[in-house]
Amino acid sequence: MKLRFLVLSLLIFLFSFLIAEEITLNMIQVFTSPLRTKVLEKIISDFEKMHPGVKINLISPPYETAYQKIYLMVSTNQPLDIVEVGDWSLSSLASMGKLENLEPYIAKWEDKKYLLPGVLDSARIYKGTAYLIPNAVYVKALFYRKDILEKYGYKEPPKTVEEMYEMAKNITDPSKNQYGFDFRGKGFPTAFIDLIMTSYFDDIDPSNMYLTKDGKLIFEDPRAKKGLEMYVKLYRDTAPRDSINWGFDEQVNAFASGITPLLYQDPDTLGLLKDTLPKEKFGIAPLPVGPSGKAYPTFGFAGWGITSYSKHKDLAWEFIKYFNSPEVNAYWCKEYGALPVDKRVYDMDPYFNSEFFYGWKYMFNHPEIYQFTAYPLANEKWGEWNNLHEKTMQKVLLGKMSIDEVLKKWADFWKKAGLK
Amino acid sequence: MRLKRFLFIFSLMIPTLGLVGILSFYPTLKGIILSFQNYTVFTFNRIEFIGFDNYIEVFEDPVFPEIVKNTIFWILFSVLFQFLLGFSLALLMWKPFRGRGIYSGLVFYPWALSGFAIGLVWSWLLNGQFGVVNDLLMKLHIIRNNINFLSDPKKALFSVILVNVWYGIPFFAIMILAALQSIPRSLLESADIDGANSIAKLFKIVIPYIKPTIVNTILLRIIWVMNFPDIIYGMTRGGPADSTNILSVYMINIAYYESNFSKSSAVGVIILSILFIYTTFYLKITSKGEFEI
Amino acid sequence: MREKFYIKIIRLILLSIFLIFSVFPLVWIFLTSIKPADEVYTFPVRYFPREPTLEAYRYLFSFANFGVYFKNSVMVSMTASIVSTYFALLSGYVLARKKFKFKKLLILALFFAQMIPSYLIMIPQYSMFSKLGLIDKLTGITIVYMGIGASFSTIMARGFFLRIPRSLEEAAMIDGCSEVSALFRITVPLMLPGISAVFSFSFVNTWNELFTAVLFLNSDRKMTVPVALYSFISKAGIKWNVLSAGLVVALLPTMLVFAFAQRFIIQGLTQGSVKEV
Repeated sequence: MKLRFLVLSLLIFLFSFLIAEEITLNMIQVFTSPLRTKVLEKIISDFEKMHPGVKINLISPPYETAYQKIYLMVSTNQPLDIVEVGDWSLSSLASMGKLENLEPYIAKWEDKKYLLPGVLDSARIYKGTAYLIPNAVYVKALFYRKDILEKYGYKEPPKTVEEMYEMAKNITDPSKNQYGFDFRGKGFPTAFIDLIMTSYFDDIDPSNMYLTKDGKLIFEDPRAKKGLEMYVKLYRDTAPRDSINWGFDEQVNAFASGITPLLYQDPDTLGLLKDTLPKEKFGIAPLPVGPSGKAYPTFGFAGWGITSYSKHKDLAWEFIKYFNSPEVNAYWCKEYGALPVDKRVYDMDPYFNSEFFYGWKYMFNHPEIYQFTAYPLANEKWGEWNNLHEKTMQKVLLGKMSIDEVLKKWADFWKKAGLK
Repeated sequence: MRLKRFLFIFSLMIPTLGLVGILSFYPTLKGIILSFQNYTVFTFNRIEFIGFDNYIEVFEDPVFPEIVKNTIFWILFSVLFQFLLGFSLALLMWKPFRGRGIYSGLVFYPWALSGFAIGLVWSWLLNGQFGVVNDLLMKLHIIRNNINFLSDPKKALFSVILVNVWYGIPFFAIMILAALQSIPRSLLESADIDGANSIAKLFKIVIPYIKPTIVNTILLRIIWVMNFPDIIYGMTRGGPADSTNILSVYMINIAYYESNFSKSSAVGVIILSILFIYTTFYLKITSKGEFEI
Repeated sequence: MREKFYIKIIRLILLSIFLIFSVFPLVWIFLTSIKPADEVYTFPVRYFPREPTLEAYRYLFSFANFGVYFKNSVMVSMTASIVSTYFALLSGYVLARKKFKFKKLLILALFFAQMIPSYLIMIPQYSMFSKLGLIDKLTGITIVYMGIGASFSTIMARGFFLRIPRSLEEAAMIDGCSEVSALFRITVPLMLPGISAVFSFSFVNTWNELFTAVLFLNSDRKMTVPVALYSFISKAGIKWNVLSAGLVVALLPTMLVFAFAQRFIIQGLTQGSVKEV
């Protein structure tokens, strides 16, 4: 009697399992913030409605530890199907062999022709193969405080780096706690250093920020010294001493409180400024160009990849495709603060034609001035470089190391890392 | 009978020993092994033993001597001031006064905060530009120019130590206060009769009586402070220009920036060895190997 | 008499200095937590919000599932601290009362466990727990937390046992009690202050533990309070008013545990006087 009951209940249990066969996809994001999580959840729930029986479990680790978590998860084959990968960690994850080659999927993907030019190429930094599909791009532009610049008689944002330096210097008055340039000394300042430094060049390799077109390391070029001198001057003459210890949060804090009205930042800064600063008080302009008349921005991007051990790869691809469809992509970029990867979105949604996007649009439309290039992200020493770059730059700013010394150190580092 | 005695001891010890063995010692062994390998994200599929290469790389790092120096400063001054101020606070609170319960809650709460939160909040408070501490000191006319607590390499280490002292006072005060309460009243009263003054009482009776507590608390505290990167990580990440870089922060930076888990394990093993040698000496000097808390 | 008054004043001043020094960050956190978002970044610094609001707290509990994280944290920390305190009681008793081979070695081993940098064992621990299927389980993190406190709790518990005269247990055993029941009937009640000290230390440590929880827990509904607070720091900055509100809320349980325990902790080692009796 007892046995029969047991068998029966077991059968019922198994049967109910078969009927309600539910597929769960596990998905992890990297650039977590409470706002971003809400936006993602909305997109996920819409997708679930369209695909009954599919559930997506979103994992949102704190940003600073996210990569370490992903490394550990994939190295032990924890259940994970869709992984967010940022440009800076793409090669390391791909080299672990835990990301699925997406080329076969891309070959069959109709919407790929609408992607912004260069987006797919930048996704192929590891061995020429795409292991992720970018879902948004990030490009730095110049955020400036209209109200404060006007107070000092400036109607327009600066157009060149030198103009910016003069403006920032004129504004700076420590006794009033007014400074010019919103400097970043801590927490991955690499892009800030390079944007100023390379604006003194006119022949940067379009595929490598650290090489000139004839294949020489930029650090050994006399123009690098000029550029770096300007960067140091921006710190010494126009930025608060304290900013050597500033990361993203302090930068935004100083901008929002008006202490430093000139800030280089990514579009996701908009998301934070939305609550803290009235719209009419700031504007966004194209990056100032150097004496060469050029500037060398890079595309930053993040996107979704599929783990090589996922059991539901096709379904995961369905989700990625859905995420990059123009409506969803528009919603995503608008709410979170990023630039869409689908060209159609810029025409479809008036938001991306508003004055906030003027700076970026101008940069995209003037390739002769803004020559997009890329970082040597596939190099295994890239992570180590960020640490060294930050620490040695701080030494220069503090006068503990000369510009010549640091350039030599950087050149040696990259020679040893096999860049040339 | 002997078997029964053994079983009794064994069954009471095994839960703790099991936990410590499985969750601390076994992973430590694994971590030591890891430090002799080349485990980075790039070599994930070809992990092999590389002998002492990671250790050599660490010792040959040009900033290593500075990091060791900073670590010694960090530990020495943190623990010294935590102890002195904690001891003073305990003495001040020894004699009951009205509202002592509430007072102790308000003065001991830093102990209940997490290191990460402390680092974060204090780096905000000590910001050289819009920090509240600078603002207050200005308003009170104590300073005329902002102090760059965290960006001036000469002051940064001092600032993070200050925060660590703030965090560590309560622990010492609680331990010492508890020990003070245990001094038998008769002992103090007999000193009163002998006409001893307060200072004499402090050095002749109080300190000798609570010496085991002081010795052990300092021992443990030094171990913990050595292994406590949270505050510095939250405030300066070891900067500017390595002026606040200590061994445990160095270890995290290697794991985070370089994703080189073997090299960071090597730093961990170095920390562990230093602490082991230190503890052995400390115990040799202060007691005859008999500990209590 | 005059000298006494003089000392009293000095004592009062010193106590106040300690109070101001320790309490001022808390005041600032609290004030920030009741500021609306646009008053957080004002310059010059504004101390008191022009329009105090509970916006940040509302955000915490509606927008972020802070209620769930809170419940998880309470469950994990409570279970881990109770279990590890109980274990520490057993082993602390043996290490205080019994004489046996390797005892010294065991005590040394417990001290040694204090020295292990947590970053050294994190990856091995992770792969061990992933093999056991304990990643993203509250059970898993509870087990890790039991281990975190085990060695220090035992060291502490042993210290308290050493201060209680063995004669009391022996008397009970002569009256026919077994050793274990003598331990729980006679010694444990006397040791309540010590036990609450061990418990509250263990609770505070596990309540604040961040880095293991960050790695071991994945799902949103399993997050603990420190992990949730940590995720308010994003690539795009910190919402300081929300983070401050979170810190205030996170501080409540530890304060509560401390309020209960502090009476015991402060008289904790008064058992020294029992020794004299």
